[in-house]
Amino acid sequence: MKQLLKIIEAIRPTFDEGGKLGILKPVFGALEHFFFAPSDTTIGAPHIRDPLDLKRFMSMVIISVVPCAFAAFYFFGWRFLAMVIVSYASGLAVEALFAMVRKEGINEGFFVTGILFPLILPPGTPLWMVGLGVAFGVFIGKELFGGTGRNVFNPALVGRCFLALAYPKAMSASYMKPSHDLLGCLLFKWLPPGTGVDAVTVATPLSVAKGGEYCSLSHLLFGSVSGSAGETSAILIILGGVFLLLTRVANWRTVVSILGSFLLLAGILHHGQPERFGPIMWHLCAGGLLFGTFFMATDPVTGPTTNSGKWLYGIIIGSVTVLIRNFTGYVEGVTFAILLGNITAPILDEIVFKVRLRRLASEE
Amino acid sequence: MKFRGGHNILLQGRPEGMIKLMPEPEVLYLPLRSRRFSFGELCVEEGQQVNGGDVLARDLDNYSVPLLAPRAGRVRLTEREGHIVLEDVARLAEHAEIDDEDLPHIAQEMGASGIKRYRLLTLGAWQFFYDAYSGSLPDPLGRPQAIIVSTLSLEPFLARGDAQLHNRLLNFTRGLEQLQSLLEYQPIYLVMPDIKSEFANLIRNHIRGYASVKMVSIPLTYPYDDFSILARRLGLKRSEGPVWSVRTEGVLAVDRALTLSKPCLVRIISIGGTGVNYSTHISVMPGYPIQRIRDKYIFEPVSRIINGGILTGERLGPEALGLDTECRGLTVLPELQDREFLGFIRPGWDRSCYAACYLSSLRDKFRERLSTGLHGEGRPCVSCNFCEDVCPAGITPHLIHKYLYRDLIEEAEQARVDLCIECGLCSYVCPSKIDLRSQIIDSKVLIAKEKEEIRKEQLRQEELRKQEEARKQAEENSK
Repeated sequence: MKQLLKIIEAIRPTFDEGGKLGILKPVFGALEHFFFAPSDTTIGAPHIRDPLDLKRFMSMVIISVVPCAFAAFYFFGWRFLAMVIVSYASGLAVEALFAMVRKEGINEGFFVTGILFPLILPPGTPLWMVGLGVAFGVFIGKELFGGTGRNVFNPALVGRCFLALAYPKAMSASYMKPSHDLLGCLLFKWLPPGTGVDAVTVATPLSVAKGGEYCSLSHLLFGSVSGSAGETSAILIILGGVFLLLTRVANWRTVVSILGSFLLLAGILHHGQPERFGPIMWHLCAGGLLFGTFFMATDPVTGPTTNSGKWLYGIIIGSVTVLIRNFTGYVEGVTFAILLGNITAPILDEIVFKVRLRRLASEE
Repeated sequence: MKFRGGHNILLQGRPEGMIKLMPEPEVLYLPLRSRRFSFGELCVEEGQQVNGGDVLARDLDNYSVPLLAPRAGRVRLTEREGHIVLEDVARLAEHAEIDDEDLPHIAQEMGASGIKRYRLLTLGAWQFFYDAYSGSLPDPLGRPQAIIVSTLSLEPFLARGDAQLHNRLLNFTRGLEQLQSLLEYQPIYLVMPDIKSEFANLIRNHIRGYASVKMVSIPLTYPYDDFSILARRLGLKRSEGPVWSVRTEGVLAVDRALTLSKPCLVRIISIGGTGVNYSTHISVMPGYPIQRIRDKYIFEPVSRIINGGILTGERLGPEALGLDTECRGLTVLPELQDREFLGFIRPGWDRSCYAACYLSSLRDKFRERLSTGLHGEGRPCVSCNFCEDVCPAGITPHLIHKYLYRDLIEEAEQARVDLCIECGLCSYVCPSKIDLRSQIIDSKVLIAKEKEEIRKEQLRQEELRKQEEARKQAEENSK
């Protein structure tokens, strides 16, 4: 460790302003601070700070999606690893470029986008599309708004939305049949058995359900169904999601209100016309609802900041998802519902603040 | 009572309830500035011999609050910048400052309660009073709507009420009586912790007989003992007059000044934090040389000495030689020097965190050995909302930060920066390491300045209008 610190100190002047590689300073800074926490101290009161920093904060999200990522390896093969690598490489390039132009540090927010993005893509998505999608998402969805903390939309969802609209056929053709072996694809199988490089189009449970056929709930819970890479196994998503809630990185209010409003509305529909609308527990576990709820909608930047705003936000996302799934031509509505929720978030906050300020004024 | 936010930070070095006597000093360094006061008006001359209780200087902006000589000694004014130095300090009988000839004159002007208030001011007890809303010194002749007496100090680490009350319970109740005699019918709220301890019960039993003293129990969470929070929670409206607030030491000082007519020269302060070898309370006088406390208690070679608590105190630099008159405690923290290897992926068994992001959340609450480290790089706000959750005043620090980032002072004002009690919790919890507290304080200062300018401008316009009218009148008259 001391050796490493010495090396870092030795090459620091090269990357300082005016140094030979001064333009790469953000990259150097990110690497340095990855290995060694800065020794900065507080200037004035408060003299102590919470040990939690943004790196740790974002690491929590990454840890919480690890089970889902393993499920993706298990069901869809090690090709998924290539998707993750491409996603990180392409997105980091955009992020680093902007950091260099802005002369700011590289933000940790990207490390989350980089892993979440391949998880919400069909497992057979061509690698160039992965790279393009994440670059688009980071560029349009985040950097144009000013970088981490200032974006309106979830960058991963912007990227996915872009791919879904730009290459609808290629996207829907990239769904794969999951491996049904005991060990899955864990023994270094590139793709699930029976799947060629030209992926066979497999319908997802939700699109099959349009025809009135519902796959079994246990398959949805376990995850051995077709779908986006990380969204198939409900149990693992809930596992990671609950971890995220317990660490307080994600707010439980958003999760409860999305799932609550979704269950309520889906329940009403199902009771009204059971033959037309699917059972509620099935709908809860199918598709990207759980993944979107736990990992996408709880993104603090793009959601409302106030607690009451989070309740409203969740209700909007939950009910819009039900509406899109059941009454439009789209089989899956979570992406659009969350993006729609992102749009309304600032307004919700505004309303909550107005009410709160009035209450504060009456307190005095 | 319902409180918002709040968070207890547990760290090593909590002072124990004992009070240690410090040896008598030979030299005292009395700082001319403290948090609220600036003693600009000097009342002594170079080389003059003073007695304990003599007025050394006054703060004319704050109702002429006196800086009293804690001990007898010879005054040196120019020796140290910003300090009055007392040499050859000796402990002699203190004498009351008020001359008897003055009293009838004062009595005529202000009435019986007026004399008492005058005494409080001149004997140094008035310094312990705060205006609940602004935190400044209240007008001693004003008419408060209520008095809040707090026995708590929840900020780590300040002199604790129970330590000060030990063996002084009678003085405390007598002080409450004296306080009551200053008022007509207004209530006194006595704030107690909502815990069951023998000592708390003792106090409760003692107070039970006082009709105008109302007991208020609050949870032991920082910063629920803040006076403006308490005043708001008690439903005391700002528009209905000032709320005086005073802590345990203040009530004891009132007792001393009014019952014994003696000046309040000695304070009990805490000495705690991770950088001291023995955390305790010490009984010292203002001006006590910090170096001597340092020699006795502080073992960390590179440490930061804080005047006050860990969250709101001010750093004492090498230029500060003696304790100021408002000091309530010294907190010592080791300065962070090492860089941590892969700090953010450590399990963190011994690292307590507001969000449960470290393994330590699996174990019981513990006292952590904290340093002054920032523990991370400054980053843009990610709206994690921790600051809002923790804010006891009910405002939204991160929103105000965003307004200030864009120079939207007016919006920040509308978001009620004025309600901020500067407790420092928002800065503490921020994972992006934004210094929300100082930003909000700066904006408060800026807004106050702007308001002052607007007021001046209005006065000027008014003046001009009057002049114009007078001129017209004169013209008409001359016609």
